[in-house]
Amino acid sequence: MCRNGSDRMAALFSPPLYLQRYQFVIEYVKRFIPRKVIDLGCADCGLLRKLKFHRNAIEVLAGVDIDCAALRERVNALAPLTIDYLQPSPRPLTIELYQGSVTEREPCTQGFDLVTCMELIEHLQLWEVEGFSNVVFGYMNPCAVIISTPNVEFNPLLPGLRGFRNKDHKFEWTRAEFQTWALGVCMEYGYSVEFTGVGVAPGQNRDVGFCTQIAVFQRDAGVSNGPVNNAVQMEPTVYRLLYRVVYPSLCDNNIFQRTLVCQVLYRAESLKREFELGEQSMQSDLTACAHSLPPDVVAGSTVVYRHRSHVFVPLQHVWTDPKVQALCGNIHRLRQALMDDSRVQLDTDRDAIILPDEGEEEEDEEETGECEEGNLTPSPVIDNSEEDWETEIG
Amino acid sequence: MTGRARSRGRARGQETGAPGAQPPPSEEAARPVPPPSAEGELVGRGRQRRAPGAVASEALLQISAGFQQVKIGERGGRRRDFHDAGVHTRQLMEHVKESKTGVSGSKIELRANFMRLLSRPQWALYQYHVDFKPPMESRRLRSALLFQHDETLGKARTFDGAILFLPHRLHNTETVLCSETRHGERVQITVTLTNELPPSSPVCLQFYNIIFRRILRMLNMQQIGRHYYNPDDPLNIPQHRLTIWPGFVTNILQYESSIMLCTDVSHKVLRSETVLDFMYNLRKQCGDQRFPDACTKELVGLIVLTKYNNKTYRIDDIAWDHTPNNTFKRGDADISFKDYYKTQYGLDITDGNQVLLVSEVKRMGPSGAPPPGPALLIPEFCYLTGLTDKMRNDFNIMKDLSSHTRLTPEQRESRLNRFITNISRNTEAQNELSTWGLSFENKLLGLTGRVLPAERILQGSRTYDYNPWAADWSKEMRGLPLISSMPLESWLMFYTRRNSDVAQSLLQTLNRVSGPMGIRMQRAVMIEYEDRQESLLRALQQNVGPDTQMVVVILPTNRKDKYDCVKKYLCVDCPTPSQCVVSRTLSRPQALMTVATKIALQMNCKMGGELWSIEIPLKQLMIVGIDCYHDTAAGKRSIGALVASLNHGMSRWFSKCVLQSRGQEIIDGLKGALKGALKAYWKYNNCLPSRIIVYRDGVGDGMLQSVVNYEVPQIMQSIKTMGEDYMPKLTVVVVKKRIASRFFARIDGKLTNPPPGTVIDTEVTRPEWYDFFIVSQAVRCGSVSPTHYNVVFDNSGLKPDHMQRLTYKLCHMYYNWQGIVRVPAPCQYAHKLAFLVGQSIHKEPNINLDDFLYYL
Repeated sequence: MCRNGSDRMAALFSPPLYLQRYQFVIEYVKRFIPRKVIDLGCADCGLLRKLKFHRNAIEVLAGVDIDCAALRERVNALAPLTIDYLQPSPRPLTIELYQGSVTEREPCTQGFDLVTCMELIEHLQLWEVEGFSNVVFGYMNPCAVIISTPNVEFNPLLPGLRGFRNKDHKFEWTRAEFQTWALGVCMEYGYSVEFTGVGVAPGQNRDVGFCTQIAVFQRDAGVSNGPVNNAVQMEPTVYRLLYRVVYPSLCDNNIFQRTLVCQVLYRAESLKREFELGEQSMQSDLTACAHSLPPDVVAGSTVVYRHRSHVFVPLQHVWTDPKVQALCGNIHRLRQALMDDSRVQLDTDRDAIILPDEGEEEEDEEETGECEEGNLTPSPVIDNSEEDWETEIG
Repeated sequence: MTGRARSRGRARGQETGAPGAQPPPSEEAARPVPPPSAEGELVGRGRQRRAPGAVASEALLQISAGFQQVKIGERGGRRRDFHDAGVHTRQLMEHVKESKTGVSGSKIELRANFMRLLSRPQWALYQYHVDFKPPMESRRLRSALLFQHDETLGKARTFDGAILFLPHRLHNTETVLCSETRHGERVQITVTLTNELPPSSPVCLQFYNIIFRRILRMLNMQQIGRHYYNPDDPLNIPQHRLTIWPGFVTNILQYESSIMLCTDVSHKVLRSETVLDFMYNLRKQCGDQRFPDACTKELVGLIVLTKYNNKTYRIDDIAWDHTPNNTFKRGDADISFKDYYKTQYGLDITDGNQVLLVSEVKRMGPSGAPPPGPALLIPEFCYLTGLTDKMRNDFNIMKDLSSHTRLTPEQRESRLNRFITNISRNTEAQNELSTWGLSFENKLLGLTGRVLPAERILQGSRTYDYNPWAADWSKEMRGLPLISSMPLESWLMFYTRRNSDVAQSLLQTLNRVSGPMGIRMQRAVMIEYEDRQESLLRALQQNVGPDTQMVVVILPTNRKDKYDCVKKYLCVDCPTPSQCVVSRTLSRPQALMTVATKIALQMNCKMGGELWSIEIPLKQLMIVGIDCYHDTAAGKRSIGALVASLNHGMSRWFSKCVLQSRGQEIIDGLKGALKGALKAYWKYNNCLPSRIIVYRDGVGDGMLQSVVNYEVPQIMQSIKTMGEDYMPKLTVVVVKKRIASRFFARIDGKLTNPPPGTVIDTEVTRPEWYDFFIVSQAVRCGSVSPTHYNVVFDNSGLKPDHMQRLTYKLCHMYYNWQGIVRVPAPCQYAHKLAFLVGQSIHKEPNINLDDFLYYL
C-alpha cells in the first residue's frame, strides 16, 4: 500500500486540496475572463478538463508537460462531446497539448492571458527556478500568472510526514522564501503580486498559513494581448505538439450557417403547420362549402399564406423566434444569411420563406416492396420436378 | 537532469459517476479483474436476471487460467458478448459437421461488406500476467509504472491493469522489472508469460475489436452507444429537428475461413432539442392534465445523451416528485443537483421546477459490486436520441428520414470504400495497425452465392409463376379464385357521417372484386357512428352479435385510440374478426380497386379463408414461428407470440400470444402455447406432427446462448408433455433480421441487390454454427438486407439444402403480402400478432380466435 502526501492530505481537507486548487483557478477565470489559458505541468490534464467546463470566455486552452505518457493517457477526455457538435458553442475553443520543458522557450506559448503553474516549481532544481522565471515572465510574458507550491511551514501539521511531501520535490518553501522569490520576479519582469492559498489549517494553527501557497501575478503595463487569432495555428518549434482539437463553434461559418438554417426551417415549418391546422379547422367548421379560401393575400404580407402549391412564411414571423434572434442579431443579417443558402428558398422580395405544400400522397403499405426493375437477365430457373425430401434424408 | 522527474504529484481528479447514484461503499479502486465470462453464463439483453456478486469472486480465480476465460475490457468494464461468440452448436449436429452448404440454384458472384484481416505469418498475441510488489491499487499507477519500461516491452502493448498483451515474445518467460513511484517507492514488477494466443482465439478477436475502436476514434468519430459516428458531416431534417450522423457498425470476427472485419453504414438519429424542450412542447400540446401520462408514454424507453459527458442513459421512469433542488449524497455531504452541476460542470439549471428522469444503471459498480442504483438526470441537460414511437408512426418523418438514410447498393459500396480509404490514408491509424503487425485487405470480399429456383404458386386447381425479380404475384393472382373463401353473410360496416360516401363506394367495390376471387358476399349492415371513441364502442357493443362474421370500421383519421378501442373490444371481449380502414386510404377513386382487393383478401384470411399455397415436400410437418415485442410503455412487459402451421399447405395457422410477467422468460409462457398448437394440430390432422421446425425470431445480440441452453430444452419438454413415446424430429432456427451483413450483385456492370432467393452459406458464415443467409424479399429502393438463419438444434437429418429451400418457401406464405417477405411466414405472423397485442390490446386475446389470422 502506498501512502503518499495526497492521501495524507485527503483526510485533512474537504474538498480535497487538489480540487481546492482547481477551484481557485476556476474562480479566477470567472472573475478575470481570460481568453487564452495555458497550464504548465498539466499532468493528466485535470485542470484543463475542469476549465473546459468552466470556460467562461476561454478560447484557447493549452497544456504543457514533460511527461508525454501522462498527457496521452487522458487525451480523450479533452475531445469534444457529442453535444458539442449538436449544439455548437457560440465561442471558439481550441485545446492543445504540448510535450516540453518549462525551462525552454517555445514561441507557441507566447501571447497568453493566463499561465497557471500548479505545484510545479518544487519539482525543479533550485538552480532551474531562475530559468523558469525567465521563460514564464520574461519570454511568455502573459497578463497573469498563478503559481502554487507547498508551504513547508504547514508540514508539521501533516501527520506522519518526514521530509518533503513528495519524494520528487527538490525543495519546499516557507512563505517568506516564496514571497521573496515572487517579489524578485515582479521587480525584474514588471509584475505585481498578491499572495493567498488554499487549505486552511485546522483549529488554532492559523499562523502556519495555507497548506498550498499561491501567488497571483499581474503584468504591470496595462497592455492587453492582441486579439486571439484562431486562423493561424502555429506549429511549435521547440515543444512537440501531442494533441490539438478545434471545437465546433458558431464562429465556423459552415457550422453557423447550418445551425441557422436548421433553426429557421424548423420555425418556418412549425408556422406552416399551425397555418395548415387553422385551415383544416376552418374547413371542418364550414363543412358545407367545399373551398373556404384563406384571406386574400398580397406580397409583403405579414401572415402565412398559400400561393399556388407553396406556403409562404414571412421572415418577420420567423424572426420572432428567440433562438433565431440569438443567432442573427438583426433581421437584415438573417435575410443576408439566408439569401445565398441553397437550403432555403426565399420569395422574390426576400420577405418570405417558400415551403412546398405537403402532398397528400400517403401510402399504407405494410411492407415496402415491389421492385420495378423489370426483367433483368439471370432469372432463376423454375423448378418443376416433384420432390420428396423425406426420401432424401440420409 | 531532465525528464520524468518533473511530472509532479498533483492528485488526480476522479471521474464522477452519475449523480444521484449511490457512491460505491469504499474508495477502494476497482480490482484489475477482467470481466468474467465463464462459458454458459453469457447474458443477453438484460432480460436474464442473475445475482451479480457471485460471479465476480469466482472470476478472481480464473484470471489467466486460459484464454477461454479471459475478456479484455477496454476500461476494465463489463462487456457483453454481442457477437454470440463461444456458442458452439454445429459440433453437436452430426449431419452438418462435414458440410453445411446447399447445392440448389444457379451460382451468382456477389460482393459482401467484409474485409479480410491480414497479419504477419506466425503472428500471435502474447499474454502476460503482471504482478506488482508491493501491490499497487490504482490501475493508472500500475500502467504508469509498467510503461516506464518501454525499451523492454516495446511500443505496441495493451494493459488493463493485470494482463498485458504484446505482439512479440519477451526474451524470458518471466521478466522482473523495477520501477519507482513519484514518491520514490521502489516497486518490483514481475511479467510472466501465461499464454500464446493464436490469431483466431477469442481474446485475439476481442483485441482486434479494441484496436479497431481506437482507429475509429483516430478518425475523429464519436462513439454513441456501441457504434461510431462522424460528427463533422451531419444531415439535418430541420422540420422535425432531427440530425443524422452517418457512421459505421463494425465488428471483427472469425468467419468461416478467415478473420474479417464486417462493416456496414449506420445512421444515428439525434435530436437537437433537450428533454426539457420536448416536455415544454408536449405540455403545450396536450395540456397539464394529460401531460404526465403522455410524457411517460413518450419518454420511457428512449435513450438520452447527457450534456456533460458522452454517456447514454435509457429513461426508465420519471421522478415526478423530484426537482433539481433535491439533494443527493456526495461523499459525506448532501448536495443539490443544481449546485452539483454548477460546481462540477459550470452548468446552470434555468428551470428549477423540472422533474427528473430516472435511469436504472445496469453496469456493475467497482469490484463487481452490485449496480449503484438508479441515476437521476436533469431533463435540461439530456438530449434525445433516436425516434419516439409516435415519430416512427409518422409517415412524413419516416419518409424524410429514409430519403436520407436509404442507400442504394452503389451508394453503400462507395461509402464503405471511402471508409476503407480514410483508414488507409490516416497515418496515425496506420501506425497503430502496423505496430501490431496487422492490416486489412483494401477491398470488399468477393464470394459466390446461389439463387434458389422460384416457387410455383398453387391456388386451388390453378398454378402460376411470378416474376422472380419482383418477387410479387399480385398481378398474377388477379381474377383467380382463392383456395378457400368464407362466404360473408352477416357482417357490419361502421362509418362516420362524413365518410358515408366512402363507405358506400367501398361496399360496392368490395362486391365487385370479391366475385372473381370466389368470395360470396351479402350486403353488409351499415352502421353510422359519431366521431367519438365512446360512441364507436357503444355502436360496437350494440350491433356486434355472436353471429357476426366480420366487422369493418372506417376510421376518420389514423389516430391510434379508436383503432385500439376497436381491436381491444373485438379481440378480447367479443371475439370477432375485424377490419379497420382509414378513410383517407379510400379517398382516391383510382386506387379503390386495388385497396378493396387487398381488404377483401385480408378479411377472408381473418375469417379462416386460404389464399394460395406452395409445394412442401415434407409430410406431417409443423412449422412454428416465435417472435416477441417489448412493450416499453406498459411497465416493460414483453409479449411473446407463437404461430404454428396446422396443415400441409401452410395455409392454416394456430396463433397464441402471451404476456410475460416480470422476471419470467418469454418461452415459459410460450411452452403452453406450443402444447396448444400441438393439440390443435391433432384436431385438424388426427395425428401429431412427426417433424417440428421452430423459427425463433426476436433474439437480441448476445442472447443466443440462452436460446440454446434454456429455450431449446423448454421446447423439448413441452413436446414431451404430449406423451412419453411421442418423439418428433425437432429443428430450432434462430432468425435474425437486424444484421450488419450486406451483399451486392454485379449485374450488367451495375452494382445491384442480389435477386430474391439468393442464399449465402460460405465465407461469411460462422464456422461454429450451422447458419446461412437468404435474401428473400425484393426492395424498391435502398439496399436489401439479408436474413440470417442459425440452426441451433436439429435432429431431423434434413439436408442443409432442404433446410434452406424450406425456409425460402416459407417466406412465400405470408397472406398479408402477395409476394415474398423477409422471414418465414410464421415469424411474420408472430411479429404481427405480438405487435398488435403490444401496441393496442395489452391483454391476451380471446382463445376463440386462436385458429384464425385475426391479427393481420
